[in-house]
Amino acid sequence: MEPLSWTGAWGVWLNPLLGLAVAGLVAASLLSVALSLLSAPVRRQSLPDGTLAARDGLHGMADMAGRAFLWLTALVLALYLLLPFALPYGALGIVGELSRRLLPVWIALGATFGLSIVFKRRLGLYGKLFDSTIGMAGFALVVFWVFTAIFAGLFDMIATHDPLTALSGMKNKVPGTPLAMGDDGVYPHYLLGGDNLARDVFSRMVHGSWIVVQIAPLATIFAFLVGITLGLPAGFYAGRLDTVLSFLANLILAFPVILLFYLLVTPEMVQTGVPAYMAMVLFLFPIAFFAVLLNARLSPRPVLRLVVLAALFILGGWLYLSMVSQDGTPVDFWPDALDLFDVPGGILVVFVSVVFVNAPTVFRIVRGLTMDIKTRDYVAAAQTRGESPWYIMLWEILPNARGPLIVDFCLRIGYTTILLGTLGFFGLGLPPDSPDWGSTINLGRRLLSIYPHAAMVPALALLSLVLGLNLLADGLREESLKD
Amino acid sequence: MTDTATDPALEVAPGEPILEIRNLSISFFTRTREIPAVMDFSATVRAGEALGLVGESGCGKSTVALGVMQDLGVNGRITGGSIKFRGEELTTMSPARLREIRGRDIAMIYQEPMASLNPALKVDRQLMEVPMIHEGISADEARARALEVVRDVRLPDPERILDAYPHQLSGGQQQRIVIAMALMSKPALLILDEPTTALDVTVEAAVIDLVRELGEKYGTSMLFISHNLGLVLETCDRIAVMYSGEAVERGRIGEVFDEMRHPYTQALFRAIPLPGADKATRPLIAIPGNFPLPDERPPGCNFGPRCDYFQKGRCDAQSIPMIEVPGDAHEARCIRTDEIDWDAPPDISDHRESPEIGEVVLKVDGLQKYYEVSRPGLLGGGEAQVVKANETLSFEAHESETLAIVGESGCGKSTLAKVLMGLETATAGGVELDGRAVGDVPIEKRDTRTVADVQMVFQNPFDTLNPSMTVGRQIIRALEIFGVGAGPRDRKKRMLELLDLVKLPREFATRMPRQLSGGQKQRVGIARAFAGGARIVVADEPVSALDVSVQAAVTDLLMEIQREQKTTLLFISHDLSIVRYLADRVMVMYLGHVVEIGAARDVFAPPYHPYTEALLSAVPVADTHVEKKHIVLEGDVPSAMNPPSGCPFQTRCRWKSRVPGDLCEREVPPMVSFAPGHQVKCHLSPEEFASMEPVITLAEN
Repeated sequence: MEPLSWTGAWGVWLNPLLGLAVAGLVAASLLSVALSLLSAPVRRQSLPDGTLAARDGLHGMADMAGRAFLWLTALVLALYLLLPFALPYGALGIVGELSRRLLPVWIALGATFGLSIVFKRRLGLYGKLFDSTIGMAGFALVVFWVFTAIFAGLFDMIATHDPLTALSGMKNKVPGTPLAMGDDGVYPHYLLGGDNLARDVFSRMVHGSWIVVQIAPLATIFAFLVGITLGLPAGFYAGRLDTVLSFLANLILAFPVILLFYLLVTPEMVQTGVPAYMAMVLFLFPIAFFAVLLNARLSPRPVLRLVVLAALFILGGWLYLSMVSQDGTPVDFWPDALDLFDVPGGILVVFVSVVFVNAPTVFRIVRGLTMDIKTRDYVAAAQTRGESPWYIMLWEILPNARGPLIVDFCLRIGYTTILLGTLGFFGLGLPPDSPDWGSTINLGRRLLSIYPHAAMVPALALLSLVLGLNLLADGLREESLKD
Repeated sequence: MTDTATDPALEVAPGEPILEIRNLSISFFTRTREIPAVMDFSATVRAGEALGLVGESGCGKSTVALGVMQDLGVNGRITGGSIKFRGEELTTMSPARLREIRGRDIAMIYQEPMASLNPALKVDRQLMEVPMIHEGISADEARARALEVVRDVRLPDPERILDAYPHQLSGGQQQRIVIAMALMSKPALLILDEPTTALDVTVEAAVIDLVRELGEKYGTSMLFISHNLGLVLETCDRIAVMYSGEAVERGRIGEVFDEMRHPYTQALFRAIPLPGADKATRPLIAIPGNFPLPDERPPGCNFGPRCDYFQKGRCDAQSIPMIEVPGDAHEARCIRTDEIDWDAPPDISDHRESPEIGEVVLKVDGLQKYYEVSRPGLLGGGEAQVVKANETLSFEAHESETLAIVGESGCGKSTLAKVLMGLETATAGGVELDGRAVGDVPIEKRDTRTVADVQMVFQNPFDTLNPSMTVGRQIIRALEIFGVGAGPRDRKKRMLELLDLVKLPREFATRMPRQLSGGQKQRVGIARAFAGGARIVVADEPVSALDVSVQAAVTDLLMEIQREQKTTLLFISHDLSIVRYLADRVMVMYLGHVVEIGAARDVFAPPYHPYTEALLSAVPVADTHVEKKHIVLEGDVPSAMNPPSGCPFQTRCRWKSRVPGDLCEREVPPMVSFAPGHQVKCHLSPEEFASMEPVITLAEN
């Protein structure tokens, strides 16, 4: 097999075209900035005779040229992604083959966008996201990684090789290198090269996304449940409770995060069982949250309340005990026969530390929002009909604080992703050969100056996911502010 | 002012147009479509003249003002017509020239004074900035002028005020500073956008008085935007009535008020409580239907679907132009002005019986509520201060009775409501509901019956419903809590019946609150309050945030439900017009004291408590036949944390000098009885009381 170049034979045509489009785009944008500095921009304005004056000559030309080049760039990029399906293997190089591997993701992404845009007027805030370019771009990036993770992690589709197996002769090979000993039925290239243990960088990156997509949102949800359960009463009752809880939150926030991680994750600490005990406390919050939520709503209907709460406690309790009780930690009391699953020790620790560090910030946001919303008349109306405080907090206040919380949720998944990367980078928590992005960046770091690809690929992946989450949060914020 | 070069107001001779708006159209552009906000609007403001712009919220009156300021934001655009300021076209003016004119020649005063002042700058800096930027005068000169203007707006101790930050001033003082800022450069045109809506009535009266006086002194022309017809009558020379983006009638103020020639203007006047209106014999007539949304305007006349004189095929055939009617530049946007009999009395078909007043339901005896406000400290140190919110309140309320509680902000009426509801407990004294003592029982300890018996209707319709729960769900929740109905199905049926009761279509059960208009939300709030068959409903200014045309309908609904269910209505309000219209008895509160209580007709006629007299005089009345005595209260309501000694009202009372010695400052006056049940808390002698003249007199027609 021949080595693959980045864009293959067709790249000779496409690359100059892309260069031209991007150069044109940059030039037009610069021109338009320069023009607006020279003369004040003229808004679209109506004249007394009833006609509309658009922007004047040069300004308008620069704008139009900019738009044209933007479309051209988008068109060329689309060609990179779509042409490979009409061409033989390798005709568009590494880029082409990457696009071909990601086919399931493209289909799922296209379907999601198509359906969402068609029905966007019926989908509330989610639908409105498709009115904002920034929001759509963020959503696309996030959903791209979610689908990649799902297809790779659950269906084993996208990755070309096993992320943990080293193939001989592939150590530190550059992207596009063919396998040294090509067997039949094995993918013939390392698309994004090999790392210093001769494993496929592309496959490791793809599998790393599965770890991120599993842990980050779940840990963030837990952090939110803890923060909400404590923030609501702190904001609602204020007074001494608030003082104590806020002080604790500030205490945790004041502690250097990385040091805290080191403390929680070091094997000696794990041995003493501190993280396991913390898990026991933190995982109680979701059950408490849902119990109070349903209890408050159903209190006027005692029979239904009994059934629902019983179901919640049995199911939730079982999940809780299975989650908390781990073989090999000090907290191991639950009989294995009833233990539904064992979370790998390292992941549980990572999970606990992420929740522990994020919950105080969520607490403060929820507390502030509660203080604002509790002065509304509908809260007073609930009080005057004798509702319990928890009903007011969970059903009158919390739903109306959802806007800022959703935006913060998106941002916070991003932070969590970065935290996971940081943890992996320091080799904390996750097993050393795990394909998660932080560990991979750390492994690749050692030969960064000679073989940058092993570290660059996961770094770019991490960057694009977090960027996507931030853009998504921006888009949501922008759209939720409109009407 | 002899220096004519810097006095732009003198550049134009009196009577010449300062501002000429011709066929102005303004649209807002959203992602999907164009929303016309103002259509074909024309108006002229002459030098030294005040033009009133009235209409309900959403009619486009503020958009006109923003159009004049050329400050429509990114989405707003003038799509036609012209705005000429002293002959100069504003729509095509360069931004540099516009900046010169704004603030110097045209000044604007907004509704929320705190929002127009920079909280980080002292008052003097903000005032001095104006002439320093526009005229380039020195700081000393600007400071001198600031002092002069602050004195002109009649603020006490101008030096101290200039050295204060905005948050250290009261709302009325802040609004005076905003007015002072607008006057700093002696503008030719002053635009006032609901300048007093955020203020209390007596403060409002003082500010309006000031605006009128300054307009005369400086010769400033004014564009006065308001939804309150009474205020416009008191301040303006000419008026333009707007409806759904169009001016529907304009002319001299007296002609429009007395000889209106547009059905909307007429309907508006019939919907507001004027002196003489009475809930039994001369009820208010609500305008049927709803204000059309800007993108759902009907063809032809915008008011057509709600108009009594609508004729199919004519009124909806083509767009209606402004048509001249007899009078001085009097025009109306109606093609049937000649055909309608404008003097015909309104058709009042349903004559209602006044309900029988029944047994005592609520008995409040010597109620006292103090709050302790301690300075925040880690160990609870610092001296505790006491806010005396309620002082020895005693009154009774009967079945089927409407008891109005009148007073300005800080008078303690909200605290009284909280104690009745059980959100607070009384410090001393008793509250009895049907013989049960509830004054010191907090709401958590009250039984379901008591909670359901005392319910509340809130002031702000946009805040009264939980925005994330359907209307039906919210009513069902109230039913569940009050233990009404046997099961979910039964409660759903009850919920639909409650929607019928407040005259809302049953489909509204599945709607979210944001899909409802203000009046509709308020109806849901009423349905929710009556869900448990309430005996007492505390209505805290239930209609003050609603538009005039909706107010009448919601008030009527409350009255009707009250008649059917024999509810006791405690109607909290500062609007004496509506109180006169619907209350059986009135209780006037000031700084936690009941200063006057009695049957409505007794309270509204002399002898008055001096505070009641001032309140009556302060309320603007939209009737040219009414003659009002002019009483302006100086200063603001004192703080309840540090109330004056003796009579609470002595610091602002104009009768104080008639009481011998310093009795007013030493002793809280006793309650003096006049007619049966009519009591006044005042030291004045019976002779002085007898000498009082009525504040409001109806001139003979």
